[in-house]
Amino acid sequence: MKTIKLYTILFMVMFLVVSCGGAQVAEEPAVEDTSAEEVDSQESETADEEMEEPMDEEITMSYFMWDPSFEETEQIMVDKFMAENPNVTIDFQVIGTPDYWTKLEALSAADDLPCVFNMSAGFVDQWISDGLLYDIQPYVDADINPDDYFTGVFDVVRNKSTGNMHAFPFAFVETVMFYNKDAFDAAGVPYPAEGWTWDEFLTAAQALTVDEGDDGVVEQYGFWFYGRYAHIESWVYQNDGRLLNEDATRFAADDNAVEALSFLDSLIHEHGVAPEPKEMEGIRQQDVFPLGLAAMWVDGAWNINGNRETIGDDFDWGIAPIPRGPQAAGDTAYGWPDSMAIGANCPHPDLAWEFINFMTGPERTIDLTFGGKIPIYSPVANSEEFLEADQLPDNKGFLLEWANNTGPTTFTPGWGEWRGYTDGAGFEGQIDEVFNGEADLETALSNITEYANGVLERFYP
Amino acid sequence: MRHGKITPYLFILPTIIGVFVFRLGPTAVAAYASFTRWNVRTPPEFLALGNYIELINNETFWLVFRNTLLFTAIFVPGVMIISLLMAMMVNQKLPGIAFFRGLYFLPYITAMVAVAMVWRWIFATRFGVLNYVLTNFFMVADPPAWLADKTWALPSLAIVAIWKQVGFQMLIFLAGLQGIPATLYEAAAIDGASKTKQFFNITLPLLSPITFFIFIITVIDAFKTFEVTFAMTGGGPNNASTTLAFYIYQNAFTFGRMGYASALAMFLMLIVGAATFISFRLKDRLVDYAL
Amino acid sequence: MTTNYSTSSNTTFLNKVQSMINLRLLRSSMAYVFLIVFAFTTIFPFLWMISTTLKSRGAIFSLPPTLIPDLLFQEGMWDAYVEVWTQHNFLRYTLNSFFVAGAAAVGQLVTASMAGFAFARMKFRGSGFFFALLLSTTIIPVEVVIIPEFLLMARLNWLDTYLPLIVPSFLAASFGTFMLREFFATVPEALVEAAVLDGATTFQIYKDIFLPISIPAMTTLFLIAFINNWNELLRPVLYISTPELRTVTIGITTFQNEFGAQWNLLLAAAVISVLPLIIIYIFAQRYVVEGIATTGLK
Repeated sequence: MKTIKLYTILFMVMFLVVSCGGAQVAEEPAVEDTSAEEVDSQESETADEEMEEPMDEEITMSYFMWDPSFEETEQIMVDKFMAENPNVTIDFQVIGTPDYWTKLEALSAADDLPCVFNMSAGFVDQWISDGLLYDIQPYVDADINPDDYFTGVFDVVRNKSTGNMHAFPFAFVETVMFYNKDAFDAAGVPYPAEGWTWDEFLTAAQALTVDEGDDGVVEQYGFWFYGRYAHIESWVYQNDGRLLNEDATRFAADDNAVEALSFLDSLIHEHGVAPEPKEMEGIRQQDVFPLGLAAMWVDGAWNINGNRETIGDDFDWGIAPIPRGPQAAGDTAYGWPDSMAIGANCPHPDLAWEFINFMTGPERTIDLTFGGKIPIYSPVANSEEFLEADQLPDNKGFLLEWANNTGPTTFTPGWGEWRGYTDGAGFEGQIDEVFNGEADLETALSNITEYANGVLERFYP
Repeated sequence: MRHGKITPYLFILPTIIGVFVFRLGPTAVAAYASFTRWNVRTPPEFLALGNYIELINNETFWLVFRNTLLFTAIFVPGVMIISLLMAMMVNQKLPGIAFFRGLYFLPYITAMVAVAMVWRWIFATRFGVLNYVLTNFFMVADPPAWLADKTWALPSLAIVAIWKQVGFQMLIFLAGLQGIPATLYEAAAIDGASKTKQFFNITLPLLSPITFFIFIITVIDAFKTFEVTFAMTGGGPNNASTTLAFYIYQNAFTFGRMGYASALAMFLMLIVGAATFISFRLKDRLVDYAL
Repeated sequence: MTTNYSTSSNTTFLNKVQSMINLRLLRSSMAYVFLIVFAFTTIFPFLWMISTTLKSRGAIFSLPPTLIPDLLFQEGMWDAYVEVWTQHNFLRYTLNSFFVAGAAAVGQLVTASMAGFAFARMKFRGSGFFFALLLSTTIIPVEVVIIPEFLLMARLNWLDTYLPLIVPSFLAASFGTFMLREFFATVPEALVEAAVLDGATTFQIYKDIFLPISIPAMTTLFLIAFINNWNELLRPVLYISTPELRTVTIGITTFQNEFGAQWNLLLAAAVISVLPLIIIYIFAQRYVVEGIATTGLK
């Protein structure tokens, strides 16, 4: 009895605390605003002074970056900028990818976003609609010569309603077909050529599928894929298909998209030239091709770096276009940028832009760019160095041609959730059930549509 | 024991201050957040019961809840039995026993990312150690794709979680076993009680307060397990291995739905709170304090 | 006859001893078999981890996987460790972690033993209520309280200091309080009564009876608190920005990037980070197992 009484009291107090907590939260912004104002007023003071005496004022500005493996290289860029701007100190911080977003969100909640930070294509719509990214269109109009940049991927970082840019790409990637040249030679199949079709691809894949001793255990598959965005969307676009409606507010796979999905499924279950995804469980997805388990693979060009490392001298490989589907009139490449954004409350937006402009321009040479990503500044991308002639693939220049075909993407607010980007649920989970032979395409598509639109309705009621 | 009126309050004061400021404060905010739409980045927007209504009508949530119960049903007995067994094994006076005590504790202190990498290899479909053993020594023709299999993913995770966790419970059991006076066993041995009898008549009853404590924290652990899922399957395939704590993490940080995540957390608190409450009520009947 | 008798009795006695030794031998060898089987399952992944750190980058994911590393006794065998140790200031990170985990763990011993003692042995109004409150805070998942906590720390101006990592763990030791409450509850009342007769104050009873008799439990709590704080990942990443203040867990995350991880480095860092814990554990377990004996209360 006594415990019951105590628990009753506990719950009553909990509710009391909850309601007080409510009041507390309601008060919180007000209190925080004052502190924020203090900071703001201090900083706007410095900003004012900066305008009066731009050269002498000491300014510290924070810059967050998400890739620790690239820390040293990025530090070189940061140091160069500070050398050119002696009054500026860049507080440069690198946070491991898994925790980068958590930290940014916590800082955003505390109204303490860094001035400049990396922004991914998958999240940019969300951050723009939250009003957290500074509108940089005026700077872009003033300082950027469109002829010098790959403007095709700029659409990804635009506010969908105003068309203004809220982040500036520093590099971008395209999905491509990686193929094992040694395996092609062994099977006596010609290398993929520009404009090759699904039929030609299937013929090649059949020849490249090797089952030694006919024991049912395939030693080398012709191709391999699963429900991952880079694996799927690439094929949809190459059949002139669309997964979203016109204004990208709803999931609505059109006939061409469905045709692409069912072609992919037939590779597994009809032609046996690709494994069910679950067969590859336990091997990192980016290792299947380098380990020689599949002779072809479609994924982002940034894998060039990992391929070099894992394949080593094991075999010769190259990159090629993704084959065209029956409905495709021309090529549509799937590509997106990695960008830098300015926090909406950054007290030094001019300086922040100057920094971004520096970090994304001619100073970022090939040796300071992640292998397989294309620098957004085209004179650098078109330089001899970009081809990295001493390393594989020997046709790296193909990336630049392919980039001219860059078409739409499926990025929306809530993309990560409906696409199943990190959790393998949503679109990815449903379509993987089809590829694993556990569900049929029609059911999966209706589930995906319902789930994805449930997510999208939260943003576009 | 007799004591001054305010003495107990002085003893609990530091802890109570800490709990109020650093735990209950944030918990209260989370409770409030459960009635809002909050993406963390921007201020919350009041929704009243919206999150709770969504939760009840959400199929994924019920799937996740079922997964959590299944996980708990494997995890709690697994951890309790194995850790007690291990504690009794390393509580023997044998040469080199300290070495084993150390080995048994290794999984608990090793970083999850590292552990996950190894276990993913063990469970791998084609080149995994487990399937290699199954096909070559037990003649299983078509072994499952463990972590990619809708039926097996969750039990596989539970096994890894048990493996990772038992060292911790073992340590507490060990401390408990040390508290049992050796004279009791000596007396029982003189009376001719077998080892089994000694276990049921001395060890279990005298260990019951500790066992109760371990049971409660193991249940809480089971409901809060997140790291294993995060590192091994990410909740896949298609949510088959998503448990409540992982689902909360996803909603809070990947989906930007802190409000909904908070509602889920309140639900979790209610369930675990109820389980704890029932356990405490049963405790008086099952637990022997040697007072 | 006497000789005869004594011989036979000796034989029986010897036989008995012999069979007892046999039984003991059998028992202990059985025990070792079990111990070793268990040990194999706990150590296998750890061995694999070490093996991976001795592999070249290309060999880490080779198929079928191999336990014997390709660089074993080759040139560059220790490259991963050298790289981890020199590229990042892991010595500094380790010392930082020692400080944070040590401070938090020692603090927990003080606060949790005091509160645990009150909850276990004193009757006072609201004890059940306060205890339930305490317990309920261990149930709430950290994911939903971390942002409010972060805002609190930001307001206290504690960001980029160790205070958010130490103070809450120090003060709000719910788990430790619960644990010590259960251990203190098992201390025989007779001991307390004897002390009361001797005129001991409540504080003396706590300090001179409960603390010494609970050395195994206290050591266990210290270990657990130390390890949990050492392995804490989310909070250090959120609260610490200055590189000099990084803890080992932050150090480990620096080997994970957008496209996966540098596994040999990451695992080398994990091995480095686990070594101090093993040492502390070996040192501490003497007190877990022999604690009672040292207090003379057997």
